[in-house]
Amino acid sequence: MSFSLDSLSAVELSKLIKSGGVSAKEVTEQAYSLIESRDDKVQAFLELTEDLAFSAAQKIDEARAKGEELPALAGVPMAFKDNMNLIGTHTTCASKMLEGFESVYTATCVQNMLEAGGIPLGKLNLDEFAFGSSTETSYYQTTKNPHDLERVPGGSSGGSAASVAAGESLITLGSDTGGSIRQPAAFCGVVGLKPTYGTVSRYGVVAFASSLDQVGPFSKTVEDNAYALQALAKKDPRDVTSQNITADFISQLTGDIRGKKIGVVSSMIEAKGVSEETKRALRKAQEHLKDLGAELIEVELPHAESAMSAYYVIGPAEAFSNLSRFDAVRYGHQAKASNLGDQTSHSRYEGFGPEVRRRILLGSYILSSELYHEYYYPAQQVRTLITKDYTDAFEKCDVILMPCSPRTAFKFGEIDDPTEMYLSDMFTVSINIAGNGGISLPIGFGDESGLPIAAQLVCPAFKDADLLKVAHALEGCYPKVEVAKIMKAGE
Amino acid sequence: MKTLSEVFKKYEAVIGLEIHTELTSLDTKMFCSCKNSSTDPVNQNVCPVCLGMPGALPVPNKDAIKSIVLAGLATNCDIEKNSMFYRKNYFYPDMSKNYQITQGPVAFCMRGHLDLDVPTKAAQERVDIDKEEDGSYIAHIGITRIHMEEDAGKLNHIGGVDGRIAGADHSLIDYNRCGVPLIELVTEPDLRTPEEARLFMQKLREIFLTIKISDCSMEQGSMRCDGNVSLRKRGAKEFGVKTELKNMNSFKNLHDGLEYEIIRQANVLEEGGQVYQETRHWEPSNKRTVVMRTKETADDYRLFPDPDLAPYDLSDEFIDSVREFLPELPDQKRDRYIADYGLSKQDASELAGSLEQSSFFEEALGDKKEIAKSLANIILNNLAGYLNAEGLSISESKISAESISELAELLSSDEISSKQAKDVFAIMIEEDELPRVIVEERGMKQVSDKGAIVELVKEVIAKSPDQVQQYKDGNQKIIGYLVGQAMKASKGQGNPKLINQTLREELDKL
Amino acid sequence: MALTSDDARRIADYARIAVDEGDLGQLADYLNNMMETLAPIKEFDLEGVEPTFHPIGDLTNVMREDEPGKSLPIELALKNAPQTSDRYFRVPTILGGQE
Ligand SMILES: [Mg+2]
Ligand SMILES: [Zn+2]
Repeated sequence: MSFSLDSLSAVELSKLIKSGGVSAKEVTEQAYSLIESRDDKVQAFLELTEDLAFSAAQKIDEARAKGEELPALAGVPMAFKDNMNLIGTHTTCASKMLEGFESVYTATCVQNMLEAGGIPLGKLNLDEFAFGSSTETSYYQTTKNPHDLERVPGGSSGGSAASVAAGESLITLGSDTGGSIRQPAAFCGVVGLKPTYGTVSRYGVVAFASSLDQVGPFSKTVEDNAYALQALAKKDPRDVTSQNITADFISQLTGDIRGKKIGVVSSMIEAKGVSEETKRALRKAQEHLKDLGAELIEVELPHAESAMSAYYVIGPAEAFSNLSRFDAVRYGHQAKASNLGDQTSHSRYEGFGPEVRRRILLGSYILSSELYHEYYYPAQQVRTLITKDYTDAFEKCDVILMPCSPRTAFKFGEIDDPTEMYLSDMFTVSINIAGNGGISLPIGFGDESGLPIAAQLVCPAFKDADLLKVAHALEGCYPKVEVAKIMKAGE
Repeated sequence: MKTLSEVFKKYEAVIGLEIHTELTSLDTKMFCSCKNSSTDPVNQNVCPVCLGMPGALPVPNKDAIKSIVLAGLATNCDIEKNSMFYRKNYFYPDMSKNYQITQGPVAFCMRGHLDLDVPTKAAQERVDIDKEEDGSYIAHIGITRIHMEEDAGKLNHIGGVDGRIAGADHSLIDYNRCGVPLIELVTEPDLRTPEEARLFMQKLREIFLTIKISDCSMEQGSMRCDGNVSLRKRGAKEFGVKTELKNMNSFKNLHDGLEYEIIRQANVLEEGGQVYQETRHWEPSNKRTVVMRTKETADDYRLFPDPDLAPYDLSDEFIDSVREFLPELPDQKRDRYIADYGLSKQDASELAGSLEQSSFFEEALGDKKEIAKSLANIILNNLAGYLNAEGLSISESKISAESISELAELLSSDEISSKQAKDVFAIMIEEDELPRVIVEERGMKQVSDKGAIVELVKEVIAKSPDQVQQYKDGNQKIIGYLVGQAMKASKGQGNPKLINQTLREELDKL
Repeated sequence: MALTSDDARRIADYARIAVDEGDLGQLADYLNNMMETLAPIKEFDLEGVEPTFHPIGDLTNVMREDEPGKSLPIELALKNAPQTSDRYFRVPTILGGQE
């Protein structure tokens, strides 16, 4: 075979397939051989779906042979976070609770990617039920950061980020409730987008916090990400919160951002917890933006700090309720017990890991009538203030630049206090609270750690096309994102 | 204390109802597009949404919202334009998500009321109110709210006695009903007697049948009623401790369950005891209520706005478009019957209070306004009596509107007497024959020939010298006896009005 | 006021999650710790601020038509159920053991 998935973007690969340079079958074969050699180390995949993949590849090759027009991402190897239903696969949410659970329907986001021509390679690891920032809480396996196998890939969509960084998949889907796409993308040095809430259907994605969850793509390039979003952003009658999006995300990627106003939140970039190398990288990014002809404008988000409190009130509260359905009656791990009450509580004790149990209990407590007005209601009021902060800031600028994660990927076991772990989301949660779009974009490697560093760009609601446009221009100032070096070593 | 009247001398009962009605007229469930049907095989109408599969999301049924708005308009509620769905979190295996989607403090319909015409007999239970001359009164019953929610699945308890949950070894779940659109109406605690509660439920049912949102079958459980009851001493302002009563799945059970519970509470209080806040189950076969569960503290359902669903901001156009579907309601119909047909209030109210009866009445009436009173009489007395005794509905009986109409014509034109009408009706049922044919064949025509009646009357006067004397001495009432004798002599075919009139004329001639 | 182990047990009971007696203290600590961390939420001046219960977008009156769609075939409906009986889902005694 004269092609290498490692050196191609999804868009380039699809063009190659359409031109007959390579068949979807060959692509699928190469993807699985890469997985075979790399996933032992990375452990991103929870399940491989060769049957589905090869039958999708065959359909594409047949359509091409008949001269039919192929969809935008025809033949692109893809994989999905294992909290997304795909009929014919298991959907475990990386939890013992759903061990062996077989999807009985397909999530709209997955369906949209398949209709765009994706080859479904399999399902990817995550923090159990997406509660976490390191993918360490998976019941099944520990996904490694492809840039340093001693380090976490971030979370909760750790498998989705790692798989792209390792060159196993070209596009993956993740879900982001408080940073679960952007932070692992930052840790793994790939592009990760959390679109504006309502852009992508949540139908079929196992809910964590319904008002915060949003699905988005991981990819090596911003262009790939824009193509993926174009396929994902469709109004879904099965999700009440899904919006009618008419934007064209692809045609905006001209590289010309002259006159664009970029808001900079210096207080965040220069914040105490942010590592020095991250600060330096972000200052450098500002220089690049200026060189591209953009205008830098200082903006403030006075309530952003309170976002953490609001997030840890709203998130667990909604999660508690969303996870009540796991009662071992219609599905799920079932403990042996002689009566229903014991069966339910023992099944949930055995089926859920400690972090999931903790958050459910926290949420249940927060929603109790005595705390509803003390915590839950005020948190939703604070949400109004945070949203207004962004609205005010976006009167002055088109896109805001801020850190994504205060630091680069940490080592396994390095953070064992749950409340300290929660701080990895400090720059990402406010965007979920307000609902805006946010993207994590690699801006080189740390001059101390040698690990990927990311910038986070944020856009006003439903201006994701602007976000991709600026990210695409900034991306051009850096060397092309490559598959993690150690992955290629020894092959 | 053994009877309501004893209790009500000293205590006042405060009753509120919670009435759940399934919107059986809709084709699909509340939040998914599964069929809304109660007759399909077990777990036939289930999907990821109503089974609470991971990742599934609810989408509200537009017609369900139209139905509840219609219900609100029909019960004098304010329609709240801005309301939301909430989640009520509790674990029970018939509720697949372990939360019920319902509404929060603001429901689609708020602050409504119904006015009950409490007729003479039913009015007897109430002792603290000024009544009309005929003993009836009107009760104004407030409706707190009507909210939209989803029904739960059905549990079958296996291994116990009579399918009861206590003592069952295991339970089987059918989720066909899970997610069926349900509206819950909550009344103000304005009801004071079991009869008022029964009449409220009857009236509400008729309204819901009229606006066609449900089949309102209490037997099938598509309309279900729980009652909250407490007692307080007459004159007291404070409410007593209330109990919640379940399983009152017929009008009779609703009345009898409340009656039992009121007397039970009165006896507890009389003995110096305490009524506990608890849920009690009415057992019709044992005629008693038993404790289902006690409530030490109020349930904490972790109610919060459902983030999967959009808030509502109903437009005037939407509400007006629903209003267009509002048919003539029982109260309006009653007033029309009085104004247009001259029916008595009681007859009009009774007829209009039953969609089945009033539809039948109007079909039989056609444009023959002049037979309205006779027709009302026949429907409310003869037909209703027969249907009651047989346990039939009008549509189940073989009596046609045409034949009832014909019977009413015979009666209103004095061709037959009401006594004869009753006989003809009985024959109509027996022999499936038209009234005119029956009358002809049996020579049952009412004798209205003046000459014949004068002969009859003269004979009776001649045979009853004593009674005639009494009449002459001023005993007007005795004329009843003489009319009876004349009717007898006519073999029931004499026109009673004419006989009465002729008797007076002849007696006065003496 | 700090939660005790007993409070933690009640919260766990409500959420239907069994707990080891030995873990109750730790659980209470976690909840107390979190409530303290989240306390700033109570310190804002929120007078007159409307809550945002629902996220952004065109989000009012979203409904579907009352038109039947596909339900799940019974095999799929029951596929993941730990216990079934004929076409039913099955659970052990609901009241048993809780007298
Ligand atoms: Mg209810
Ligand atoms: Zn359904």
